[in-house]
Amino acid sequence: MRIIVVASFVVVLALFIFATQVPVDITPDKVSAAVSEAVSKSEAPVDEEIVEQVVLNSIAVLEKGQSTRLKYLASAYLVIWLVFMLYVLRLGQQQQALDKRLAQLEQTPETQED
Amino acid sequence: MGNLSTKIIGVIAALLIFISLYLVFGYAQIESTMLEVQKIFYYHVSAALTVYLAFGINCLFSIKYLIQRKSNDDLLAAAAAEIGLIFCTIVLLSGPIWARYAWNTWWNWEPRLTSTLVLWLMYIGYFILRSALEADKRKLYSAVLGVIAFVDVPIVHFATKFWKSEAHPERGAKFDIAPSMLYTFLVVLAACIILFTLLLIVRYRIQTTQTRYEMIQQKHLAEAS
Repeated sequence: MRIIVVASFVVVLALFIFATQVPVDITPDKVSAAVSEAVSKSEAPVDEEIVEQVVLNSIAVLEKGQSTRLKYLASAYLVIWLVFMLYVLRLGQQQQALDKRLAQLEQTPETQED
Repeated sequence: MGNLSTKIIGVIAALLIFISLYLVFGYAQIESTMLEVQKIFYYHVSAALTVYLAFGINCLFSIKYLIQRKSNDDLLAAAAAEIGLIFCTIVLLSGPIWARYAWNTWWNWEPRLTSTLVLWLMYIGYFILRSALEADKRKLYSAVLGVIAFVDVPIVHFATKFWKSEAHPERGAKFDIAPSMLYTFLVVLAACIILFTLLLIVRYRIQTTQTRYEMIQQKHLAEAS
């Protein structure tokens, strides 16, 4: 039972770390190239520098909030894991206690016969 | 159901949970409004749907007990209710974490949240009733309560239709969901249902063993006296 608890925690943690370590592949150069491409296709006059700055600011805001969002995500999955594991542990304890009592009960008549 | 079948279901459950976690964290695309926090949705909603299934089984076997008066039906109903309560606890605990980010509050008394809390309290009451009564009365009264409590399940489901809700989307609302998110949700839902089945078998087996133990104990006491 302990092995299941530890193994499941390691799996959840590993997957979480794996997912959150994925590098955000948006560099200023890529933003600049994407904005230039979009502006070149635009029929209306657009100030490329302003658009680029707006995009970079938006990315900065998103990246700044990422740690907060990941905290919420980690908390939720930790809570889900905790509830399940506590219940599984409780079931295991009940089963063990019951097996022990049944074994004692089966031994009783033999003891009396002796 | 034999030990081998239970082990096979256990292995399937473990595999599905592993795959579902990989899909949630590594495959499903990040939703554009809630961003990473949206990933709570997969287990939150799947757990909520499993709650419907669990309490539905409880209601079904409660009715069966009321008709046939077989103790095994009562045990199965109680096992389903207990695991349903665990899933309902997960819904009620993961929901506020989502709510804190989405609505800037841990809790608000909107229809679905309130009716889900009422559902949880009703099944808490179900177990308080079971622990407070003697065997015969316990089976009968808890079967009746099991049927009554299930009435709240459609209320929870249709809450957003009955009462206008600003938080949860109205039932039947159209979502523009990406295929990667849909597949992930379906796998997580399958994982929850298989996990529920596994826990139900294990819990039912413990309860039947407990009943057998009590019968043997009574027999021993009767022989001794």
